Amino acid sequence: MLKTLDLKDAVGHKLAHDITEIRPGEFKGPAFRRGHTVCEVDLCHLQRLGKNHLYVIDLAEDEIHENEAAVILATALAGDGIVWTDGPREGKISLLAGLDGLLAVDVAALAAFNMVDEVMCATLHNHTLVKEGDLVAGTRAIPLVMKRAPIERAAAIARQNGAVLRVRPLRSAKVGVTITGNEVYHGLIEDRFAPILTEKVQALGSEVVAMDFAPDDSEAIARLICSQRNRGCDLLLLSGGMSVDPDDVTRQGIRLAGADEMHYGAPALPGSMFLVAYLGDVSLLGVPACGLYHQITVLDLVLPRILAGERVGKAELAFMGHGGLCLDCDECVYPHCPFGKGSTV
Amino acid sequence: MKSFEELLTTSAEAHGHLCPGQVVGVRMAILGSRLIGLDDPSSRHQIKKLIVYVEMDRCIADAVAHVTGAKLGRRSLKFMDYGIMAATFVNLETDKAYRVLSTEEARDLAFVYAPEVTEKYRQQLEAYRRMPDSVLFRVQRVQVSLSDFDLPGPTRRKVSCTSCGQVVRDQREVVVEGDILCRPCGQGAYFSDAKEVSWPDMDLAPVPPDSKQQAVNSER
Repeated sequence: MLKTLDLKDAVGHKLAHDITEIRPGEFKGPAFRRGHTVCEVDLCHLQRLGKNHLYVIDLAEDEIHENEAAVILATALAGDGIVWTDGPREGKISLLAGLDGLLAVDVAALAAFNMVDEVMCATLHNHTLVKEGDLVAGTRAIPLVMKRAPIERAAAIARQNGAVLRVRPLRSAKVGVTITGNEVYHGLIEDRFAPILTEKVQALGSEVVAMDFAPDDSEAIARLICSQRNRGCDLLLLSGGMSVDPDDVTRQGIRLAGADEMHYGAPALPGSMFLVAYLGDVSLLGVPACGLYHQITVLDLVLPRILAGERVGKAELAFMGHGGLCLDCDECVYPHCPFGKGSTV
Repeated sequence: MKSFEELLTTSAEAHGHLCPGQVVGVRMAILGSRLIGLDDPSSRHQIKKLIVYVEMDRCIADAVAHVTGAKLGRRSLKFMDYGIMAATFVNLETDKAYRVLSTEEARDLAFVYAPEVTEKYRQQLEAYRRMPDSVLFRVQRVQVSLSDFDLPGPTRRKVSCTSCGQVVRDQREVVVEGDILCRPCGQGAYFSDAKEVSWPDMDLAPVPPDSKQQAVNSER
């Protein structure tokens, strides 16, 4: 439990918690750390911080201090690829990405965790691309001293599927790209898809190992798909031919190649005519022509998840609808915008 | 103990329908039994070790009774009319007792545990299957003082109400100004204006009263 001391009687006592100082625009952090023994010279500083009373802690057997609680919570929340370097500061622990990859948040477990009184955890959105060292979440126990049981229950909730937070590394894929369309194949116009797709693939740490061009001929497209597979490609991107015209035959080509799972259409704009298919373990992504015009499309939402080892299917696509509307801003600030942030699965 | 799914099926049959309360009740009973060290509470060798208090007369109560085998008539099931979605499981052999409370937040979390199910009732049904115990329940270790008059077994005491003459069993009588009374006479009851009446076909009996004589005659 907590006992309150008048500041004048606090000299010689140890502080029960960090005392935060905020100087607008200049400093925010602990002016005094937990455990600091209050001296005469501290009194004026503490008064300037608005402290006329201080807590002394006398923990009962079933009680726990916020710092110990924060460590229990952070340990339970953090899964593979999540680290923290400092102990609790002002009762809070910042969780960082331990490696480059895709942040995975167990949204249900996080909500259940935050339903427990006196604990909190705030995270980045599920499926956010992160770099090693990025701040991905913060957690703390709210009161200075609380009962141990709810903290342990919150920790159990956090561990329900192993952990709430993980960073999944992106594999380095050998990508085959097929650019479809008679207009490009016969040289009527210059292709612009290849550099765009190549740049996106490379930015995620993968490599384009095959680049082929196909006419609007489903059998030719199917042959190229099989050929790229045989050449060791483990992820195939197909551009063009995804729309509704009679010349748009890429889907038929993918089907002819033997795709065993195929999802055409995604609730995202731009990208509604996107396609995800699977040929055994090889993922095929059909990129509609919007990928030529828009800097960011549904491809940017799906590709990292595929590279993180996820099998994106009907449900995963369906849940992208919430937050799947790009505002098409003059200056694109993705990923710092709502696009693709509403998906909970 | 049978599997969760088996227990849910038979519990729903006994209750009359499958509902979210059945899922919560079955899981509550499985957890409570486990906490007091009974892995098959309704079995012959464990059923006498168990007392269950239910604190609500809702679907959950039926499921808890079904899974544990606790019964009002065997005095292993106690109904405490608190209106709280909770049940306490007592091991008479070890005196261990745990009160398991269904959390209110589980209802609010249904949509995140079963986001693909849109209809609320079905969403709760599915979500309550998926939630871990730590989300669905809070647990308290409690002390339960059971007097001999609360235990299963034969009636330990009978007295007659000095007002109405009714026999009262197991110390449920009250004493008012020195008089032993049944609770309805001493404290009032859920009914009022009680008047003894006659009713049609008063002599009906499932087995006719002369059947014993007929049986004896036929043996001769």
